[in-house]
Amino acid sequence: MKKALTIILVLCLVFSSVFAQGTKEEAATTAVGTTTLKWALWDIASTTYYEPLIKAYEAKNPNVKIEMLDLGSADFMTMLRTQLSGGDSSIDVVTIKDIPGYNNLVKGNLLMNLNDKIKSENVDLSLYGGTTDQISVDSKLYGIPFRSDFWVVFYNKDVFDKAGVAYPDNDMTFAEYDALARKMTSGTGAGKVYGAHYHTWRSAVQLFGILDGKNTIVDGTYNFLKPYYEMILSQQKDGIVQNYATLRTSSTHYSGVFYNNSVAMMNMGSWFIATLINQIDQGKTEVKNWGLVKYPHAEGVPAGTTLGTITSLGVSNASKKKDAAFDFVKFVTGPEGAQIIAKTGTIPSIKDAEVVKIIASKPGFPADQNSKDALQVAKTYLEMPLHERAGEIEVVLNQVHDEIMTNNISVDAGLAKLNEQVQKILAK
Amino acid sequence: MQVHSNKQKVTMALLYTLLVLCSLAMLVPFIWMLSSSLKLDKDVFTFPIEWIPSNPRWINYAEIWTTIPLGQFLKNTVKLTLIVTFLQLLTSSFAAYAFAKLQFKGRDFLFLGYIATIAMPWQVYMVPQFMMIRSFGLNNTHLAIICLQAFSAFGVFLMKQFYMSVPDELCEAARIDGMSEYRIWAQIMLPLSKPALSTLTIFTFVNTWNDFLGPLLYLTRMELKTIQIGLRMFISQYSSEYGLIMAASVVALIPVVIVFLTLQKFFVQGVATAGLKG
Amino acid sequence: MASKKANFKKQLVAYSFLAPNFIGFAIFTLVPIVFAVVLAFLRWDGANPIEWAGLSNFTELFDDDQFKAALKNTIVYTAGTVPFTLLASLFLAVILNQGIKARNFFRTVSFFPYIASLVAVAAVWNMIFNPSKGPVNMLLYSLGFENVPGWAADKDWAMITIILFSVWKYMGYYMIIYLAGLQGINPELYEAANLDGTNTWQRFRYVTVPQLSATTFFILVMLTIQCFKVYDIVYMVTQAGPGTATLVLVYDIYNKAFVSWNLGSASAVAMVLFALVLAVTLIQFRAEKRIR
Repeated sequence: MKKALTIILVLCLVFSSVFAQGTKEEAATTAVGTTTLKWALWDIASTTYYEPLIKAYEAKNPNVKIEMLDLGSADFMTMLRTQLSGGDSSIDVVTIKDIPGYNNLVKGNLLMNLNDKIKSENVDLSLYGGTTDQISVDSKLYGIPFRSDFWVVFYNKDVFDKAGVAYPDNDMTFAEYDALARKMTSGTGAGKVYGAHYHTWRSAVQLFGILDGKNTIVDGTYNFLKPYYEMILSQQKDGIVQNYATLRTSSTHYSGVFYNNSVAMMNMGSWFIATLINQIDQGKTEVKNWGLVKYPHAEGVPAGTTLGTITSLGVSNASKKKDAAFDFVKFVTGPEGAQIIAKTGTIPSIKDAEVVKIIASKPGFPADQNSKDALQVAKTYLEMPLHERAGEIEVVLNQVHDEIMTNNISVDAGLAKLNEQVQKILAK
Repeated sequence: MQVHSNKQKVTMALLYTLLVLCSLAMLVPFIWMLSSSLKLDKDVFTFPIEWIPSNPRWINYAEIWTTIPLGQFLKNTVKLTLIVTFLQLLTSSFAAYAFAKLQFKGRDFLFLGYIATIAMPWQVYMVPQFMMIRSFGLNNTHLAIICLQAFSAFGVFLMKQFYMSVPDELCEAARIDGMSEYRIWAQIMLPLSKPALSTLTIFTFVNTWNDFLGPLLYLTRMELKTIQIGLRMFISQYSSEYGLIMAASVVALIPVVIVFLTLQKFFVQGVATAGLKG
Repeated sequence: MASKKANFKKQLVAYSFLAPNFIGFAIFTLVPIVFAVVLAFLRWDGANPIEWAGLSNFTELFDDDQFKAALKNTIVYTAGTVPFTLLASLFLAVILNQGIKARNFFRTVSFFPYIASLVAVAAVWNMIFNPSKGPVNMLLYSLGFENVPGWAADKDWAMITIILFSVWKYMGYYMIIYLAGLQGINPELYEAANLDGTNTWQRFRYVTVPQLSATTFFILVMLTIQCFKVYDIVYMVTQAGPGTATLVLVYDIYNKAFVSWNLGSASAVAMVLFALVLAVTLIQFRAEKRIR
C-alpha cells in the first residue's frame, strides 16, 4: 500500500513539473504596438558588439525589441537551416556565417530577396567594397555584409628584438616571408622559437594560391597549388613550423602558440586582433608586444592583397515582420552600425577612414605605423566563393589537404586526386 | 579453507597487476581533466604534459558559474534526467515483461522492429522529427526532450534480456495462485530485476545527462539549456577556453559518479537474496 | 468458447503492458523513422518541395567515392571492435566478480571512460599517441623501432587507433552489463559443478558462458549497432581523416544531410547501413534462438 502511494506521489510530481513547462515560445508577452524581432546568432557570451548594437537601435526605435537566439558557433549554419526548415516563422533576422551555408539558404528559398528593399530604402552598396557583388546570386542579393575579416601576419616584437632581426614590413613576397621565417627559427625543445605557424585550417595554407587572382578554389584544376604546398612542406620538414600532424591530433589552438612566445610570425585573420588585445589585457599571455603587417603576396601582385571572409545579415523569407527586420539589418550593416562594431575592436564591412581610425586607436592596438597601415587592404578574395557545390567541394578540399599535410600522399598525387574528385562533383 | 598454492599466488599477483594497469589506463583521462581544469587555456595542450600545474588556477572553478549560467543549466539537466530516467524505467520494464513472459500475436516481429530502430542513426531522422515536434508546438520546451528520450527501444531490449533469465516456473506458479499479470510484474519481476534496473538507470542517466544534439536543436532559449550546451559555449568561433571546459566537465561529472556509486551495491545482490525458492 | 475469450483477454493484457512505451515510441521515434525511410526514394532539401527520385539515390551511390570509402571503413571498424570489446569486457567482468580486494574500486574505475567527457578522453588519447611527442612513440623509439606508427595522422594506422580507442572506451560499459548478468547466475549451478570436480576453465565454459547467453546476445547486438553508427569517436579522434581513412557511414550521412542538404541521399546511405545491421542482427537472433 505504501509503495503504491509513493509511486502515485512521484507520478504527480513528474506530471506537474512536466506540464508547468507547457508554455510555448510564442507567448512572449509583448505590449500592444511593440514588435519583437528574433535575431539568430552565435557566441553571445564572447561577442562584444551585439549588446551595443541592440541598445543603440532600440533607443532609436522604442517600439522594437530585439531578442537574441544563440545557436552556438560550431554548427551554426546547420542549426539555423534546421530551425528554418518547413517554413518556420519564429526567426526574423538571420546572421550568415559562411558562403556554403548562405548558398544552401538561398537554394532553399529561405532568405528574402533584398533587391527591392535596397532600392526603396536607398542603401548604398558601394560602401561594401565590391563584396556584395561576390554574394549576389543571379543579380539578386540575399544578405548585406556587416562584418569583414581579412588575413594579416601577426608578429611577436619581443622575439624579433631578442634575435636582433628587423621587423617584417608591409610588402613581403612569399619568398621573403619564407626566408624571414627560416632566419627566425632558433633553439630546440621547450624553448624553441618557430619562424612561422600555420593553423590546421586548410585556408591557412591552401589559399595562398588564389591570391594572384588567376585561379579560384572551385575551378576543378589545382596544379597551381603545387609551389605553395612544396614551400610549406619543406618548412615543416626543416622544423620552421610545427608539424601539422602533431597540431591536429593535439587540438593545439593557434592562439596558445602565439601567447607562449613560441612563434615569431603567424598568418591569421583579423578577428584575432580583438581576442589578442583582450587576453593580453587580462594577463593571460606571455607575449606583450606584437605587431601587424600585410599578408605576403605573390610576385607582381600589389601588397595588401589578401583573403577575406564576410559575415552578413539577412531576413528570413518566412518572417512575418519583414519590414521591421530589414530596418534593423539596414542599421547594423550601415555606417552607424559600423562605428559601433569598430569600437569593440572588430572590423566592420564598411571600412572607411573613420572606422580604421577607431580600430587603430583602441587601447592595446600596436602603436607603430606599419600596423595601422596593415589595416588597409588592396583587394580581398573570399575564402570560399559562392558556388552551387561549395559545400561538397569543401569536404574534398579538406580531406586532401589533410592527407598532403600529414605526408600520407605526395603533393602531385594529392593534387591529381583533387582534380579528379572535384571535377566529378562539378560534372553532377 | 583453501590453501593458497604458489601457483595461485602468482596468478593472483598477475591479476592484480593487470587490474592496476587497466585502472590506471581508465583513470588517466580523468586525471588529465582535473589537471587541465586548473590551467590557463594556452597551457592545456602543451608538451610534455604538466600533470601538476605549477600555478593552479582555482579561479577557473569560480569563473564557470559566472561566464555562463551554469547553475541554471545544472538545474535543467537534473530535472530532465530525473524525469526521463523514471519514465524509461517504468515503461521499459512494463513493456519488457510482455516481450519476455507473455504470449501475444506479433511478439517476435514487434520486438525485432524495436531493435531495428536502434540501428537508425539519429542524424537521418533528425529533420523530420524536428519538424513534427515543432508542429506539436513543443519546440523550445523540456517536454520535447522528454518525449524523445523517455520511450526508447534500448531500455525495452535490456530489460527483456534480463527478464528472460528469470525462470518461467516462477510466473507460472504465480498465475496458478491466481495473481494477475500486473501483480506478477510488480511483486515478482520488479524486485528480481534490481541489477537490471540499476543498470538501466545508470545508462539512461548518463545518456540523458550527456545528451548534446537533442538539447542543441530543441532548446534554443537560454533559460532552458543544459550542461552540455553550456560546455560548448566555452568554444566560440575563434577560441576555445579549455581550462573552463574541463572545470565545468569535472563539476558535471560529480552527480554521475554519485549515482553510480549509490547503485553499485545493487549489482552485488544475487538471485539468492531475492527469495528464489523452488 | 471460454478459452477463446480468455485468450483475447490475455492478448489485451499483453498489449496494455506494451502500450505506455510503445505509444510514446511510435509517435516520437517510429513515425519520423518511417518518414526518413521514405525519404530515401525522394529528393528533398528540407525547404523546397519534395520531388520523387525513385531509386536514383541508391544508384548514385555506386559511383560515390565517399560512400564506398565509408562502407569499407565501417565494416572494418565493426569487425575489429566488436570481438575485442566483447572479450575484454567479459574477461574483466569475470575477474571482478571474484573475491578480489577493492573490487568496488576497480569497478568504479572501469566505468570512467564511459562517463568522462569525450572531449577529455579523446584529447588525452591523442596526446598519449601523439606521433612525435607522445609517450607511446617515445617508448617505441627507445626500444629501437625506426618507423613508428603515425597513429591518428597516418592513413594506415588511423583505423587501428580508432579501434583501440573504442575498445578501451566501451569495455567498462559492457563489463557492467556482464556483471549484472553474472549476478543472475544461480550459485547452485556452480556448487553442482564443483561437486562434479571441474576446474575453473571448465566451470567458465560449461556454466558461465551458457548462462550468459542472453546477456552476450544483447551485448553483441548493441555493440554491433553502436559500431555501425559510430560518429562521435571518429569526430573527436581523427575527424574522419587522414583523407578518407576513417570516414564512416554516419559521417558520410552527416555530410550529405547537413553540408549538401541532400536529405534523400543521406537517407539512402542510412538504408544501406540499416540493411547491414539488420542482416547481422538477424543472424545473431537466429543463433541465439538455436542455442536456447
